[in-house]
Amino acid sequence: MSFDDQMRDALKTFVIESLELLQDMEDGLLGLEDDPEPSERINAIFRAAHTIKGSSGLFGLDHIVAFTHVVESVLDTLRDGKLSVSPELVAILLPCCDHMIELIQAVADGNVSTNPSMTNAERQLLDGLESFLKPEPKQVVTTVQQAGEQFEASGGGVIDSGNWHLFIQFGENCLRDGMDPLSFIRYLATLGEIMSLTTFSHAMPDAESMDPESSYLGFEIVLKSDADKATIEAVFDFVRDGSYIHILPLEDKIPYYVELINSLGEDNSQLGELLLKSGVITQRELQEGLNVQQAQVPQPNTRLGEILVDQQVVQQPLVNAALEKQQQIKDNKARENQTIRVDAERLDKLIDVIGELVISGAGVNLRALQTSDSALLEATSEMMRLVEEVRDGALQLRMVAIGATFSRFQRVVRDVGKELGKDISLVITGGDTEVDKSVVEKIGDPLMHLVRNAMDHGIESAEVRAARGKSSRGELRLNAYHESGSIAIEVSDDGGGLDRDRILAKAIEKGLVQPDAKLSDQEIYSLIFEPGFSTASQISNLSGRGVGMDVVKRNVTDLRGDIEVESRPGQGSTIRIRLPLTLAIIDGFLVGVGKSSYVIPLDRVVECLELSGDLNDRDYMDLRGEVLPFIRLRNLFNIRGDQPRRPNVVVVHAAGVKTGLVVDRLIGEFQTVIKPLGKLFGHVEGLGGSTILGSGEVALILDVPVLVSAFEHKLQGNMHLAQA
Amino acid sequence: MAKTILVVDDAASVRQVVGIALKGAGYDVIEACDGKDGLSKLNGQKIHLIISDVNMPNMDGITFVKELKQLPAYKFTPVIMLTTESQEGKKQEGQAAGAKAWVVKPFQPAQMLAAVSKLILP
Repeated sequence: MSFDDQMRDALKTFVIESLELLQDMEDGLLGLEDDPEPSERINAIFRAAHTIKGSSGLFGLDHIVAFTHVVESVLDTLRDGKLSVSPELVAILLPCCDHMIELIQAVADGNVSTNPSMTNAERQLLDGLESFLKPEPKQVVTTVQQAGEQFEASGGGVIDSGNWHLFIQFGENCLRDGMDPLSFIRYLATLGEIMSLTTFSHAMPDAESMDPESSYLGFEIVLKSDADKATIEAVFDFVRDGSYIHILPLEDKIPYYVELINSLGEDNSQLGELLLKSGVITQRELQEGLNVQQAQVPQPNTRLGEILVDQQVVQQPLVNAALEKQQQIKDNKARENQTIRVDAERLDKLIDVIGELVISGAGVNLRALQTSDSALLEATSEMMRLVEEVRDGALQLRMVAIGATFSRFQRVVRDVGKELGKDISLVITGGDTEVDKSVVEKIGDPLMHLVRNAMDHGIESAEVRAARGKSSRGELRLNAYHESGSIAIEVSDDGGGLDRDRILAKAIEKGLVQPDAKLSDQEIYSLIFEPGFSTASQISNLSGRGVGMDVVKRNVTDLRGDIEVESRPGQGSTIRIRLPLTLAIIDGFLVGVGKSSYVIPLDRVVECLELSGDLNDRDYMDLRGEVLPFIRLRNLFNIRGDQPRRPNVVVVHAAGVKTGLVVDRLIGEFQTVIKPLGKLFGHVEGLGGSTILGSGEVALILDVPVLVSAFEHKLQGNMHLAQA
Repeated sequence: MAKTILVVDDAASVRQVVGIALKGAGYDVIEACDGKDGLSKLNGQKIHLIISDVNMPNMDGITFVKELKQLPAYKFTPVIMLTTESQEGKKQEGQAAGAKAWVVKPFQPAQMLAAVSKLILP
């Protein structure tokens, strides 16, 4: 029978055994309240939970361990008499029992990880259980501490002479306890290489008084190992009592550790923490040192560093290095105080006021230009320069690094990877790229969807990756950089890339494109952003319901950004979002219709041309052989008055389609401070906001994509009417 | 000759998985379902290591170790106790009884093997 078969077999035993235990538990619980002497019953119930917890850990069923642990804790307090049997307690324990049955059944059905649909119910049960545990300090879920959580104590570098110095005198009783010193040293050798071993026999008494069952030997060992101090210390866990065990970095490795201490992060300024993080002392050694310090009477007066050196767990130069680092951190903390935190609302208010200042400045400038007072002109031009500087400075205040948003995804990638059973690492670059606070706030959700999508559909399963000759670990990248006045954010994966043919087939099936349409790769890839599009044949919890990519696109468009896809078959794909750096001020293009002015966002403008020979009876024109539909702003906004003889057309692009906007006058580029429209205008389509011109007049900012799509809908409606 | 390990636990699945891991590492394994059964399975044969749970019906792990240490043939046999984080007191009791090594539940098979190989050579 293969190993896997054996384990499957064992898992079957586990399921049967657990279900039996849970049945016992339920029976026990049901009779609990009526039992005058419940202690035996409680013991049996406790044992059932305890056994299930232990066994599920063995099979790596961590979610069962976590839940059962809480149940067990409650039962433990009950067993210790700290809690008494009550109808409420039984009422919560019975559903817990049911939940455990469900969990075990799920395992029997092959679901060895958490089922999201169960977690809600589980949360409620846990809350109920917690209320019984309140008076007791909460216990930590028992997981074995991973060595990986410790700071990497001894990194790379060629170390030939060994890096740890061990002094071990085994306790006299260790042989009597069944502990063989030799086997511990052999086990130590599995962590690295024993470079030298010296045996001390000076504790050995004369032959007549020697007890052959006692251990007298001491050892000095030089070990070359990548393991950290805590791991090495753990080798001797079973013989620590009565033994003398000291582990020190080798003298010539001290400079390395000094450097390590210096390179530590600055979130901690306690001496013990610094030494612990650099791996030169272990948690246990620190605790012992602190205990010694606390035990001093009348009050602790010896410094921790001295105690640790005294106990021979660390050398003096390392303590000195940590003390220096401590001072440095204190200095830095003092410097940190020079930055201040500001309420975001106040900052927004300031930006608003500065926006007003820009506008009224422009007004003053306009008036000044109408006079010929040279002193006034000079003063206003100086003022305008300062106002611009203030504006730029104020906008700078709202800029935050995107790194914090990115690093949230470390957790997401880990959790989702676990859920999907894929090993995926996240690489973040360009985290210090700055972008407007409001952009950062709104980009989280679309990014979340892109990341999940890339993990789910982009990166292949480990088997497929191995077959394609890639490393089994998938890689997801988040990158950000500045590009001519906008910020680009990229989500890339090293998965299979987009399947061009499948996307096209799906799009045709859904009627998104005509079967005979000739599309470029780029056009095909952007079909994934169409509403209702999804190629995944299986719907998963994470993505694949076809409501995602189109929402992402809409979010990005709302931020006045755009989104594009790049894909290399078999090598991965990149989705790039481009967003404006700020949402408060944009580059606009000012146009006039009648007496009103309108601002078109400059990045939407393709070109401007004159509408010659307009007969006012059609809504399209010939643009170098292409049909260009256009919208007459005069009609759209119901502006009275005569149309000039030669109106202009501003060609704008939205959703990859060009449309013309017919206006009376072209005025030119204009730094536009965006003022949101009041709620009253919430239902008006096609307007993105307003701004105030230097003359004090109000100009409306056109929301080009909405304007165009609303116009198209109306057009289609008219056609239907015409057909009917 | 392969060394023999006695595994005492009331949960059959634990015995099974620990057994698979130990046999895979080259040990011989004898199973017992509680302390009483454990004592009866000794039969005077050479046992190199004992792994025992604490909470068991009939005879618990602590009593089992105490009784074991009374037997001259098994006085020096190393014992690994399966304790839990919440049972610090039981661990102390076990050590006083003579079970100096321990593995904290829930554990992975690899952790069990590491603890075993600290104590005996396969």
